[in-house]
Amino acid sequence: MSTIAPQFRFSRFIASLFDLIFWVLLIFSLVGLPIVFIILFYIKLPIINGQLMTPYLSMTWMADPSRTLPIVKNFIHTTIFRVMVFPGFGFAALLAAATIFVERKFLAKMQLRVGPLYCGKIEGILQLMGDGFKLMSKEIIIPAKADKPIFWMGPLLFVGAAGAFVSLIPVAPGWVVANPSVGLLAVFAIIGFFPIIAVLTAWAANSKWTFIGGLRALHQMVAFEIPLILSLLGVVILSGSLNLSHIVESQQHFWWITFVPIGAIVFFITIFAELERIPFDLPEAESEIVAGWLTEFSGMMYGLIQLGTYLKLYAFAGLFVVLFLGGWNGPMVWPPFPQDIITNGITIGPVTAKFPGLPLFDQQMLNGTLWFVIKTVGVILLILLPRGVFPRVRMDIALHTGWYKLIGLAFINIFIALGLLYAGVLGPGGLLQ
Amino acid sequence: MVDSVFLALSVLTIGSAIVALEIRSLIYGSIALMITLSGVAGFFLLLDAPFVAMFQLSVYVGSIAVLILFTVMLVRRELIFNKVEDKRRRYAGIGLMLALMLGMGTIIIGSGLKTMDTNSPMVDYKKIGEDFLTYYSPALIVMALILASSITGAMTLARREDAIDDQRAD
Repeated sequence: MSTIAPQFRFSRFIASLFDLIFWVLLIFSLVGLPIVFIILFYIKLPIINGQLMTPYLSMTWMADPSRTLPIVKNFIHTTIFRVMVFPGFGFAALLAAATIFVERKFLAKMQLRVGPLYCGKIEGILQLMGDGFKLMSKEIIIPAKADKPIFWMGPLLFVGAAGAFVSLIPVAPGWVVANPSVGLLAVFAIIGFFPIIAVLTAWAANSKWTFIGGLRALHQMVAFEIPLILSLLGVVILSGSLNLSHIVESQQHFWWITFVPIGAIVFFITIFAELERIPFDLPEAESEIVAGWLTEFSGMMYGLIQLGTYLKLYAFAGLFVVLFLGGWNGPMVWPPFPQDIITNGITIGPVTAKFPGLPLFDQQMLNGTLWFVIKTVGVILLILLPRGVFPRVRMDIALHTGWYKLIGLAFINIFIALGLLYAGVLGPGGLLQ
Repeated sequence: MVDSVFLALSVLTIGSAIVALEIRSLIYGSIALMITLSGVAGFFLLLDAPFVAMFQLSVYVGSIAVLILFTVMLVRRELIFNKVEDKRRRYAGIGLMLALMLGMGTIIIGSGLKTMDTNSPMVDYKKIGEDFLTYYSPALIVMALILASSITGAMTLARREDAIDDQRAD
C-alpha cells in the first residue's frame, strides 16, 4: 500500500492544479512581464527584414506560421543556439546519452547476455530515462567529515570542463562553438584540468577509497598526458596549423591516419587512460576500491559525473575523427533540398502553403554532420569494445606503458612526420597538397 | 568591456594570491594558487597572446599546480610547519611588498611604456615559430638540447633496476 498520499482525491488534485495555474498567471503578469521588459530594455534586439524585433512583433510573427521560419533561421545562427543546441551541449549530450544505452546493450550482446530488457517493452529502450529519473529523485548524501565546498564544486567543475572540451570540436564546416587559432593547445589545457578535479574531490570526500582512487587517477592521467600531447604533434607538423577546423580542411584528399598511423594508435591508447576505461580503469576499479574516486557521490552529483564522463568520451572520439579521420570530409551523399518547395510551396489538395526561408540548413552542413557522426559513432564503438574483452591491467604496467612505450612510439611518430615534411612529400608546400 | 574584464581579472588574481599566502589550509592555498595562475593566463588572453595563455594553463595549472597539490596531500602539515605567529613579521612582509611594488611601478612608468602602441595587430604564433627557426635558432637549439637531456634523465631515473618481477610487462 502506498504511503506517499494516503488521502488522495482526484477532485482535490484538479482543484490544486487550477490553483497553481491561477498563481502562476498572476505572478507572471505582475512580476514576470515587468522583469522581461526591463531585461529587453538592455538587450540589443536584432533587425529582421528591416524591422526592429520587439517582443510584440515577434509574438505577431509567431502567430503567422509562414513567418515563423525566418525567426527560427535567425535563431539558428546565434551564439546561444551553437552553445546550447547544435555543435554544443545538446548535440553532445544526445550522443552521450545514446552511448550509455548502446554501451550496455553492446556489451551484453558481446558477452551473450540480454542487457536491459524490461523498461519500455522494446529491448529496454527507456532504461536510460528510468535511470535518469532515479538519479534525480535520489537524496544527495554528503559525508559527515567531507570538505563541503570542494565536494559540491567537483561534479560541476567536471561537467564544465567536459563541456569546454566539447565546445572546441568542429562538427561541420563553420559549425563549431569556439574556434580559437590555437584550438589544439586549448584542448591540452582543458585535459590538464581533469586530474585536478579528480584528486580534489577524492580528497574532499574524506574516505580512503576515494583518496586511493583519486591518487590513481592523478598518476595515470599525468602519465598519459605526455604521450597524448606528443602523439598529436605529428598531425600539427603535417597540417601546419593548430586550429582544428584548418586541420580538418587539410585532410580533403588524405586522412592523416594513412601517414602517421603510429600517432593514431598512441593517441587511441591514451584515450582509454584519460577516460578511465578498461583496460585502464584503475581509478574506478570496482572490485578493489568500491568505485574509486566516485565512491561517495550520490544522486544527481553522481549523475553529473557520469554525464561529464560520457561528454568527454564523445569529445575524445570527435577529436580523433577531427585529427586523424578527416572530420566532416566525405563524398556528398545528402540530397539537395527540392527546388519545388522553395519556389512553389507545398500543395495539399486545395491548400497551398508557402514557406519563405527554406532550407534551414545548407547541404554542405548536413552532409558534413552526417559524415562526422558516422565516423564518431564508429570510434565510440571501438572505445567501448575493449570493455567486453580485456581485463584490468596492474598499476605499474599501466604507468610503464605510459612513461616508456607510448612516449617512445610518439617520438618515432614525430620523426616520421618530420621525415615526410623534409622530404617534401607532405606538409605546407609539399608534393601531395 | 576589456577594462571591466581586466579589473575583474586583477581582483581575482591578486585576491587569490593573497589567499594563497594567508590561508591556513594548505589545500585551499593551492587551489587559490591555481586561480592566480589561471588569472595570469587570462591576462595573456587579454594581451592577444592565446598561445602563451594556453601554455600557461596547460603547464602551470595542469602540471605544476598538480605537483604542488600532490605534495601537499601526501605531507602532514604539522611535520613541516611550526606556527610562528608574529605581528611584526606580517607588517614587515606587507611593507616589503608595498616597497617592491612601488619600486617596480616607478621603473615601469619611467621606462617609456606609455608611448607604446596598444592597437597593433595580433602577432600570429606562426610568426613566432618562424622567428625561432631563423633568427633565434641558437636559442632553440640550446632549449632543445636541455629538454632532450632532461627527458633522457627522467627516463633513466624512472628505470627501476631493482624491481625483479616476472609478471612485469617488459
